[in-house]
Amino acid sequence: MRYKRNNKRLDPPSNLREVLAKPISAQLQENLDDLHLLLDRCSDAVFKEFTFGPNRENRGLVIFFDGLVNKEQIEINLLKSMMLELNMRNDNSYPWPNHDIFNLVKESIVSLAEVKTIDTLQDLCHSISSGDTVLLIDGYNIGLVAGTRSWQTRTVGSSENEVVVRGPREAFTETLRFNTALIRRRIKSANLKMESFVLGRITKTDVVLCYIDSIAPEQLIAEVKKRLEKIDIDGILDTGYLEEFLEDNHNTIFSQMEYTEKPDRVCGHLLEGQVCIMVDGSPIALIAPTSFPRFWIASEDYYERYIPASLFRIMRFVAFLVSLMLPSLFVAAITYHQEMIPPPLYLTIAAAREAVPFPAYIEAFLLEATFEMLREAGIRLPRGIGPAISIVGALIIGDAAVKSGLVSTPMVVVVAFTGISSFVIPSYNAAIVVRMARFGFLFAAAFLGLFGVMIALLLMLIHMSSLNSLGLPYLSPIAPFKLSEMTDIIVRRPWFKSTMRPSMKGMENEFRQETTDAPHK
Amino acid sequence: MTRISNLQIYCMLLLATAPLAYLVTPAVVMHLVGNNAWLAVLGAIIPGSLLIYVYSYILKKSTRPFPGMLEDCLGKVIGKILGFSYILVFLLGTAVTLRFFTSFIGSHIVPDTPLSVYIGFMLLTGYYAIRTGLENMARISEVVIIFGTPVAFLILLISLAQQPDIHNLRPLLYTSYLKFSWAVYEGFFIFSNIIAVLTLAYFSIEREKVPRTLFKVLITYIGLLTLAAIVVIIQLGTEYANLSAHPTFKIIRSITVGDFIQNIDAAFIALWIIGVFGAVIVKWFMACYVAQQVFALKDYRFVAAPTSLIIGFLTLKMGAGIIELQIIITSIIPLIYGIFYISIPLLVFFILLFKPNPDAGVETGLKAPPLKTS
Repeated sequence: MRYKRNNKRLDPPSNLREVLAKPISAQLQENLDDLHLLLDRCSDAVFKEFTFGPNRENRGLVIFFDGLVNKEQIEINLLKSMMLELNMRNDNSYPWPNHDIFNLVKESIVSLAEVKTIDTLQDLCHSISSGDTVLLIDGYNIGLVAGTRSWQTRTVGSSENEVVVRGPREAFTETLRFNTALIRRRIKSANLKMESFVLGRITKTDVVLCYIDSIAPEQLIAEVKKRLEKIDIDGILDTGYLEEFLEDNHNTIFSQMEYTEKPDRVCGHLLEGQVCIMVDGSPIALIAPTSFPRFWIASEDYYERYIPASLFRIMRFVAFLVSLMLPSLFVAAITYHQEMIPPPLYLTIAAAREAVPFPAYIEAFLLEATFEMLREAGIRLPRGIGPAISIVGALIIGDAAVKSGLVSTPMVVVVAFTGISSFVIPSYNAAIVVRMARFGFLFAAAFLGLFGVMIALLLMLIHMSSLNSLGLPYLSPIAPFKLSEMTDIIVRRPWFKSTMRPSMKGMENEFRQETTDAPHK
Repeated sequence: MTRISNLQIYCMLLLATAPLAYLVTPAVVMHLVGNNAWLAVLGAIIPGSLLIYVYSYILKKSTRPFPGMLEDCLGKVIGKILGFSYILVFLLGTAVTLRFFTSFIGSHIVPDTPLSVYIGFMLLTGYYAIRTGLENMARISEVVIIFGTPVAFLILLISLAQQPDIHNLRPLLYTSYLKFSWAVYEGFFIFSNIIAVLTLAYFSIEREKVPRTLFKVLITYIGLLTLAAIVVIIQLGTEYANLSAHPTFKIIRSITVGDFIQNIDAAFIALWIIGVFGAVIVKWFMACYVAQQVFALKDYRFVAAPTSLIIGFLTLKMGAGIIELQIIITSIIPLIYGIFYISIPLLVFFILLFKPNPDAGVETGLKAPPLKTS
């Protein structure tokens, strides 16, 4: 049966839709009735009616959602100002105006930094849902939005998932404005742009597209904006939603965007011409475009001296290969290509496997699957017992499995080494890909030995080279090969030699610095 | 329009020529001229350079990619007939490469597995690559060459350190000129697979530098084969090498590093699989592209499916045993390549010699189309 799109189902009921589309009325009572209808059964909505003016003949209404606002600000900067200070304006020095009370309130009474006017009930609802307070005055068909957003939030803390020894430790929080401030604090330039979008028909989530105007290619910015504007879903709760909307290829295990919770890493990418997308309520920022080799780069590489940083990168590359192919190569070698293994080593392996009732590939598969389950359990379990379960799993179950003859010690060593290698990959989404692909390689090795492993590698290579991340080839700068950029992939150049940014289609500002000499020369 | 870099063209052409030659040429040449094999392979640089000149000249004067240029030079009917013949030749080249490769790994890696399994998997992988398009094939070739070529040279250099006898390199005094010439041709004919450049050059982002790229391919090809021949001669000696069907493989098997790494032939073949895959897809792509041009089809990619069946059938039916296969590779294929990759282009070259240069504003294989200004 074909899916039939029903747009009507995506909107509020028809009577509410009509009310929502209405402009703000000059009759306060009418607005009040409409709002009661719209915010029916919203126990956290607060309506405060009051009178003000010299003879208390003017009526006003303040609306906000409890829990999203700073009540103290509302009381002092809005209500107190209007109900007390405004009432004193009856002497000669501050004459009460005969007209335009709204402007007087906006410009002279409300002592808040963020104020703006709105004219529809839809905007009113969006404003109060975002934590602002709306003031309506009888006789005026506009409302005053006062920025009073304040709610209980997690404070800026250190990153839990991207731990570094050297370099900034701050991490994003769930509050969008804190996150934008963390970036703005590091890039003090008017060229740092943060364009806002409101996405999600129901959630009305604030989304920010962040880039440096003079560096990021214009066509990249235009493309991201175009894709963001096309999104028409009921809710956006995390950057993960956007990732699937924005990526070029969907039927793949390869992630085409990087994500991070560290503002310094975002800033590094912005300075390379990439764009960052942040969502209110998510401590994770998306970075695009990206390529697969960049997943081996850790932010710490740029804070550490270039020689050790380069060695660590090479080690990560080796770890990536080990993590991807070691179990499959081991299975292929002991099943089909025994002659490759030196005789003493092969005798040791054969002796250890003598009592094991499974073929090597079943043994490897069981151990790999157990390892993955233990890892997943370690993540999901409460922090107090997570590590304990992992240790119990690794030590006790592993030891029991070997002693009972279900698995052999060499296979345990291979799987454990593979597991450790997968933790070396700094990017979690790249590590997930490796974990999934490893099983494919294992099956290929089981059926066709090294030939199978190579066929699996070829298929993966063909697939990866066919991918693009917002126009950037996924294997760039390996394919298409760019020697100048390879020196920032496999190794890292010293900063004083790093004159160029990674090239990107449409990028005009490619130079980081003019000189290529160290300052002491 | 699809655009590829000259480095990518270099990688595709090197893949089309080197992997098969790496295993076949030293053995064949050594049978003919013994210790002089390395000189014969080195001598292939002369016909190789001439062939590059011929191809470059054809590109310079042709306004349409291969096989369209055949119609321009030889007339529509002959051009079409030749174009159709080239489809068969490219398919045959693909099938021979695949057959040689599968029988080789079938006898060295997993002997009990039927050849059809290997052929099936290689065709599946190749089909997937061609379906993703030329740009993607160029990227794959780049990765294979960037990582594969240093490994190939490294393996040869390690082999060089395994008990070498440098005296084996001394040239023999009484070498027949005819045999030497034939050996030079054997060292050279696989290089004529660079005929793919007559099409690929039209996708280049720097067409005027294509001849330079061809010379780079030649230098790498000759360097690799000469080194392979030298290693075989000084490691095994002519007599012992002539007893082996694949002496290059034999020396790799003899590598021992630190009394621990040994019998790495399986690992070498595993890497070689990727090289052969590259050789297969370049020839297969040419067959698909020529078919598209000859039959005026919309796209070459969907031709990959029917041609995969033809290649599969040809591969399975080609030569019942290794002897027949050796005859095909050492006698029939050199003849076919000689006719289609060398003689016919030479004929086109002579015809073009008497034709005027294309107008300044017209695109050729070495000149990009003029930029359109609005």
